Amino acid sequence: MREGPRLWVRVALLLPLTGILAVFFTVPLLLMAAVSVSHQSFGRFEWAFTLRSYTRFLTDAFYLGVLWDTLWLGLVVTAAALLLGYPLAYHLARTRTRWKPVLLVFILSPLLVGIVIRCYGWMILLADRGLINATLVDHGWLARPLPLMYNRFGVGVALVHVFLPFMVLSLTGVIKRIDPALLDASMSLGASPGRAFWEVTLPLSLPGILAGSLLVFSLAISSFVVPVLLGGFKVYVLPIIVYEQILSVFDWPFGAATAFILLVISLGIIAGYIKVTERALRGLV
Amino acid sequence: MERTGWGLRLAVGAVYGFLLLPLVVVVAAAFNAGNYFTFPPQGFSLKWFANFFQRREFMQALWLSTELGFWTAALSTVVGTMAAIVLVRSRFRGRDLLNAYVTSPLLLPQILTGVALLQYLSLVGLAQSYWSLLIGHVVVTTPYVVRTVSATLYNFDMALEEAAQSLGASPVRAFLEVTLGIIKPGVVAGAILAFAISFDNFTISLFLTSPKLTPLPIELFAYLKYSFDPTAAAASAVAIGITLGLMLLIARVVGLEEFTGF
Repeated sequence: MREGPRLWVRVALLLPLTGILAVFFTVPLLLMAAVSVSHQSFGRFEWAFTLRSYTRFLTDAFYLGVLWDTLWLGLVVTAAALLLGYPLAYHLARTRTRWKPVLLVFILSPLLVGIVIRCYGWMILLADRGLINATLVDHGWLARPLPLMYNRFGVGVALVHVFLPFMVLSLTGVIKRIDPALLDASMSLGASPGRAFWEVTLPLSLPGILAGSLLVFSLAISSFVVPVLLGGFKVYVLPIIVYEQILSVFDWPFGAATAFILLVISLGIIAGYIKVTERALRGLV
Repeated sequence: MERTGWGLRLAVGAVYGFLLLPLVVVVAAAFNAGNYFTFPPQGFSLKWFANFFQRREFMQALWLSTELGFWTAALSTVVGTMAAIVLVRSRFRGRDLLNAYVTSPLLLPQILTGVALLQYLSLVGLAQSYWSLLIGHVVVTTPYVVRTVSATLYNFDMALEEAAQSLGASPVRAFLEVTLGIIKPGVVAGAILAFAISFDNFTISLFLTSPKLTPLPIELFAYLKYSFDPTAAAASAVAIGITLGLMLLIARVVGLEEFTGF
């Protein structure tokens, strides 16, 4: 096999992208790290090295509460996405219907419709004068609208909707690779279909479950639009704190420090995700 | 499959319903005559679309998003394809590391990329300009292009290019006429994907936008914070139509199953 392009050709081909990323991705992140340990008083920003912003976050009950709420919301959303996503992925992996491309479009379509629009769809459904409440109240089935939006319920529902496709895609690949013969074998040995599922299919799809869960969790805790539109600034999560500190309060060091705390958490989860998917791939070879 | 029981089918159907419901509702509300969307609908009307197309801020936003998506796609496709060629074809130390670096913007929550870019571009004096939006969008879309083009390059038979060269073509001509022709579907799909992602991007734009430069998702977001009338539904329906058209285009060019890795 040939070596591929010559050295100078390689460098010339790689330089534009690596250059753009170095200048507009790596350097900004390093700068954000520097800002997060800087000092700001009465709106005046000064370069410094102080951990004041971090200690402020980690000792303030309000911010710790928001951190806890964010992680809890992520956990609930992940569990719900797994519960809804597994049957879908199982069906998609095993079905032989000729409608499969259509089903794929159904699963992918929410992904490719902008996130603001998806939230708006839920707002139309869940608002006090929304489709569900207005229909129920107008028909006299309900005296007062149900509190479906501007609370954690609404945020959770929309988050599950937004990230469900990621869960389904993570699961389908793994379930598809489970040999159906294993299931047949276990059932011919006398296992009921239920037991065969619990003891064969489910354990073998564990890598997909883990990978999908880590992915959805890390996406859910860093989501901003959904908590704002469906929480109406009544549901506080870390990304909202970052946004407010940077664009409304203009406290750059504290905003950057909060962003870094979010970064460390999500990078930790993503490292786990990469490890899990790599192990799953190695198991196949 | 014959083992698919009714219970599973019902559950699967319900989840598909859950996935599609908000999108269907947005489109239905756009064509509904009433101010509020209740069931049963209050009749068919195009007035929300008329309102959408008459509002200058929406039209400017739609145009900005389209133009921005076009330039983002052009830039990220060229840069991403160039890098993908080296990353797939050449063997050198640190290739895996470079591959990981090039796709790393995918792993980072976009809100962090947005904040970091805003602080940086403000210090450099580029913030709140068209350039800042373009840069931000290119950073988040290029990894997708690299991935899509790499996928087609992996399946490419190098012998074809070598055959062209042994028949007298220069390496450059062999590349342009043989390789590029064969990986074209991947490149085109990457470009369409880049456009779609840029067109729908919200988080990066949020930090890099300015009152005079508001892409459609930002305009929609601002509108939704204060009013709830179905003009936003009409705007959404237009955006959904555009993305759906692009999806069909990708399906025609490469096939959706291949595109998603199934």
